[in-house]
Amino acid sequence: MAQEAHGAFYDLLAVRGVSRRDFLKYCSYVAATLGLAETAAPQIAAALEKGTKLKPALWLNGGSCTGCTESMAQVDSPDVATIVLELLSLNYFETIMAAAGEQAEKNIEDTIADGGYLLIYEGAVMMGEDGNTLLVNGEKGTDILQHAAEGADAILAVGACAVDGGWVYAHPNPAGAVGVQSFLDGVKVKTPVVNLPCCPTSPEWVVAMVVQWLLVADDDPALFLEKTALLAKEYHDNYRDADVSLLYPEYIVGSTIHDNCPRRGHFENGEFVTEFGSEEEAKGYCLYKVGCKGPQTYTQCPVTRWNRSVSWCVNSGAPCIGCGGLNWVDNNAPFFKRLSSMQMGGSLGNVQPGSVAAVVGGVAAAALVAHGLGMKAAGRIGDGPPMEEMKAYDRKHGAKKGGDK
Amino acid sequence: MSGHAHYREAHPLVFVITHWINLICMIMLAFSGFYIHFPFFDGFMGVARGMHFVAMFVIIINLTFRIVAAFFVKTATQLGSREVDTDIKNWLPQEENKHQFFETVKYYLFFRKEGVISAKYGSLQKIAYLATIPLTYIMAYTGFCLYGPTADWGFFAGGTAMVGGPMSMRIIHYFMMWVFIVFTMIHAYLANIYNLNPSKIIFAWKETDH
Ligand code: HEM
Ligand code: SF4
Ligand code: SF4
Repeated sequence: MAQEAHGAFYDLLAVRGVSRRDFLKYCSYVAATLGLAETAAPQIAAALEKGTKLKPALWLNGGSCTGCTESMAQVDSPDVATIVLELLSLNYFETIMAAAGEQAEKNIEDTIADGGYLLIYEGAVMMGEDGNTLLVNGEKGTDILQHAAEGADAILAVGACAVDGGWVYAHPNPAGAVGVQSFLDGVKVKTPVVNLPCCPTSPEWVVAMVVQWLLVADDDPALFLEKTALLAKEYHDNYRDADVSLLYPEYIVGSTIHDNCPRRGHFENGEFVTEFGSEEEAKGYCLYKVGCKGPQTYTQCPVTRWNRSVSWCVNSGAPCIGCGGLNWVDNNAPFFKRLSSMQMGGSLGNVQPGSVAAVVGGVAAAALVAHGLGMKAAGRIGDGPPMEEMKAYDRKHGAKKGGDK
Repeated sequence: MSGHAHYREAHPLVFVITHWINLICMIMLAFSGFYIHFPFFDGFMGVARGMHFVAMFVIIINLTFRIVAAFFVKTATQLGSREVDTDIKNWLPQEENKHQFFETVKYYLFFRKEGVISAKYGSLQKIAYLATIPLTYIMAYTGFCLYGPTADWGFFAGGTAMVGGPMSMRIIHYFMMWVFIVFTMIHAYLANIYNLNPSKIIFAWKETDH
């Protein structure tokens, strides 16, 4: 099924109404996502034109809302991204595959048996109730993942849920959701996992990884890891009580949203939206005061943007809710407040740090005033109290005079 | 406890200056910190952050200098005395402070009438003044975990990962500001509860008798 000639490739584009120019533009866009210079675009284009043999892939869903699949399918017209993704022969893709029932399940087994495939995993790994919180065809989701992961060349963990459990992992996490890397650490599967953040993940990042894998690294797992600038981030998985190290493409998580934000000028000038629907909002001021988590969130959203680079959260007027970060719901809720609330549990519920601070400050001030009144009542103000002749300790231990000073 | 003189020997000029620098930095850091935490008026963010980023270096250099100077400068060994010794000895607990911790607590809780024998400072004050050293350094550590140019250094990134990410670090930094605010309230209260002479010497370097 390899696409042999240039001609065939451009025919394919033409059928989909994509011009050569659109194609080159998209290639430079992918280059940017990979952190490559604009000059890498022709190389990517050439590689794509040359075509390559189809890469078998499995797209497995764990505890997910299928939002990442949605995000991938979010194309208004068939475009280059779709064509790149067609380089993958997705033998199993729950949401959109034609096969069903036993045939579909058999496709997984066949792919695993043949080897040399890429595993794309969407959603959280559901470890709760001994893995029974997610069953597919009577089989535990955890077993399916472990089995598929063992034979894969590499794994793309797409979306926050696959990265660290995402919102499913949020307190109190009754389903026992964890990320792919954390789960695989636990069952000692060493297949490399590359994490793509956000809720949902950006289709462009998946495309960039496919390009990187098939065209830049020539379908070689070792070369892929070597040629992709990767960054490790550590976190503590509370469910498994284990430290986990996640690999991300550096360019995607290397800088904060705040650093690349087009509203940053308003931030520095101290021009803020205080209320939605206000004049300030109409002027496009900075969303810091209405809870923007851009300063704490390390993703490339302002550069890649969403929906084929049409727009992104802050651009469309919504504060970043930090979905690209780790344990992102617990760390960022409530979304329209500057700091997250602290989960105190019990009748206290979730409390804003500012409220706690105000109580502590208030109690301290009140205590000092009360103490001051006490000091006055005790007649100590002015010259102070009469001094003791000797320390109480020395008196007790029988010293006659002086003692230990 | 305070029916005594306040001489310059207790606070030589160099420490009057470091105390001023510390106070000014603290005010700048707390004010700009409050503003960064939640901008309560418009048009100041650039300045607030600039202020924070300058004062944070100054306060750390100032503290470090103050500690080093404690080994060279001589200060009064006792309240209301001109007799001096190397400052660090008077900063750390002295002979007079031994066995006096609970007595001091009792005194402040009105469980005893007489004042407690103490040296340059009472036990509680000593603990508080010494605690400000690690507290300020920890404050700086949490701050540098948030500071763009240093946040991804392993030394700081490790700590950020340990507390659960940059948001948790911000909240810790924010709470620590309140630790400083409460400390300052208690410190200013206890120092000046009997009369304002301690302020005269530490701010204006003005001696008072009796
Ligand atoms: C000692 C060294 C210090 C360093 C290195 C430091 C550094 C920082 C940095 C980098 C930020 C984030 C600014 C931004 O991202 O725009 C920050 C915020 C802040 N700082 Fe400091 N700071 C220090 C001391 C202090 C002190 C002494 C106080 C208060 C007494 C303070 C109070 C605050 C507050 C309240 C915030 C805002 C936190 C938030 O709600 O986001 N800082 N500091
Ligand atoms: S909108 Fe958010 S990311 Fe953009 S400058 Fe303001 S705080 Fe930063
Ligand atoms: S801008 Fe923030 S909320 Fe929007 S996708 Fe990126 S990380 Fe998520």
